[in-house]
Amino acid sequence: MNGALGVVALLALLTLGVPIGVAMGIVGMVGLMLLLGPEPAIIKSGVVLFETITRYELGVLPLFLFMAHLCFAAGASRDFFEAAARMVGHRRGGLAIASVAGCAGFGAISGSSLATAATIGLIGLPEMRKRGYSDALATGSIAAGGTLGSIIPPSGALIVFGILAEQSIGKLFTAAIIPGLSQALFYIVTIVLLCRWRPSIGPATARAPWSERRAALVRISDLGALILLVLGGIAFGWFTPTEAASVGATGALLLCAWRRKLNRASLQEALAQTLRTTGMIYVVIIGALIFAVFMSYTGLADQVADFMDGLPGGQLLAIVIMTVLLLLLGSVLDGLALMLLTTPILLPIVTNLGLSPIWFGIYLVRTMEIGFVHPPIGINLYVIQGIAKDVPLGRIFKGVVPFLAADLLHLSLLIAVPALALALPGWLHQ
Amino acid sequence: MAELNGHHGGGQTRGPLFYIGAAGLVLAMAVETVAVLGRHAGIPLLGALEIIQACILLMASAAMLSATMNNGHATVTLLTTRVSERARQYLRAFANLLSALFFVGLSAGALWLAVESWNDYEQSELLHIPFRPLRIVSLVAAGAIAAVFLRDMWRSLRGRP
Repeated sequence: MNGALGVVALLALLTLGVPIGVAMGIVGMVGLMLLLGPEPAIIKSGVVLFETITRYELGVLPLFLFMAHLCFAAGASRDFFEAAARMVGHRRGGLAIASVAGCAGFGAISGSSLATAATIGLIGLPEMRKRGYSDALATGSIAAGGTLGSIIPPSGALIVFGILAEQSIGKLFTAAIIPGLSQALFYIVTIVLLCRWRPSIGPATARAPWSERRAALVRISDLGALILLVLGGIAFGWFTPTEAASVGATGALLLCAWRRKLNRASLQEALAQTLRTTGMIYVVIIGALIFAVFMSYTGLADQVADFMDGLPGGQLLAIVIMTVLLLLLGSVLDGLALMLLTTPILLPIVTNLGLSPIWFGIYLVRTMEIGFVHPPIGINLYVIQGIAKDVPLGRIFKGVVPFLAADLLHLSLLIAVPALALALPGWLHQ
Repeated sequence: MAELNGHHGGGQTRGPLFYIGAAGLVLAMAVETVAVLGRHAGIPLLGALEIIQACILLMASAAMLSATMNNGHATVTLLTTRVSERARQYLRAFANLLSALFFVGLSAGALWLAVESWNDYEQSELLHIPFRPLRIVSLVAAGAIAAVFLRDMWRSLRGRP
């Protein structure tokens, strides 16, 4: 009962516009005061504050953010899109495929759906519209492609999940590689099928000569090497995620200097953007950890787990119920709030059902991503409309519908075949 | 609507907070990179983790305070964008009041722990970095954030952005 009341209070505070971290923290703090008394609640909150802001593992987040902002300053997003456009732009729907590939490439640096959609959108959208692509395909492919930024490692969402669920961030990153790449493949197949059905929506353009293609590939080779070093280093156990983030940020700094893009202004901008996001995330994590302590005392997760255990359909029905719940909540909550609210409640249920917490992290982020592209929240749709102001929101949504269908199919595959996420960490003995 | 890397909450103040946070971040990055290179070269940098923890505390404290001063916290805007300006001001004041109370609670907890451990002379294992100043930094940061939220509540009630 206390747990359910806490969840209702949290949803009410979030709706009233209370910052996400504060809403979770205050519900957790007040809940602990009621359950344990004011003194333990205050002391526990103080412990969470100090332990969070001195936590070595959390250093991974600002360092990866710094790396992303430096790569952005070095022109990574444009280079990724242009390389993909040179390679496949001449095919029907080729620029839309290039946008998805650009999103996947930039996602391997940025760790954020919104940043990926915004940066690739700024480059890819004008290009596609200039070449006669339909608005629906152009906007839909980038809005959906942008969500790749949340799952392709290093993913900010997976880092936060790893901290909350006390799971290995390195293992989560490795587990996300195949789902991220297969998601991109699903989008590409969607574009191919759409253009085969209605060729006019993505007309073929002139083929770039091989000299241009080679030059575009050479331009992204340094970025590719940096991504391989960082992700390969984590996957093969050369670095911990925090070490990989530091090496990646140092590499990005050198890359920026190598490309002659490093100056006082670009460095200050990268640092300022990193600190702004870092401050916001630390407050969110502190609040979420206090809320999680409160939830563990209420026993809500155990009660829900017992209920799920009693269901006749077993594991599968439980996952279907969770998926429907997450998709419904994703319609009214944004991705971060959804993850923070549901992790302390659903994770014990998942482990009780005998499912892997690593698989759950990938599944949760995948479900969260779908919320980025469906109304009424669908933040990526608004980002794309901000770039293409003359395209009505309805048309952008129409464009994203086929990709949403691909998303649901991909999510079903992830549920049916957990090995999609768990095989790679297993092969690498993580 | 918030997302990990995407909230744009106004301009960043490039004052002392920016430089403290930036110094913490860059120092953590540099120490960790040297430690990794050293480990692979067979010259381990002892105590690197302890330096990084102190750097992260500085960076996180400055970043949280800076995000608060620049109205950069993640919120759900489903309702707040659909109500009148007057109602929005009251909602903002309410959110700021709760935020201030939350950080007062955190400050109280941090103060409690600092007082409890004051005479224990806590320090890190290898480099003997004293914990007292670190606890004071976390206490000052939480207190300052609470004060900024109270100021913002007052501004919201008076109809100022």
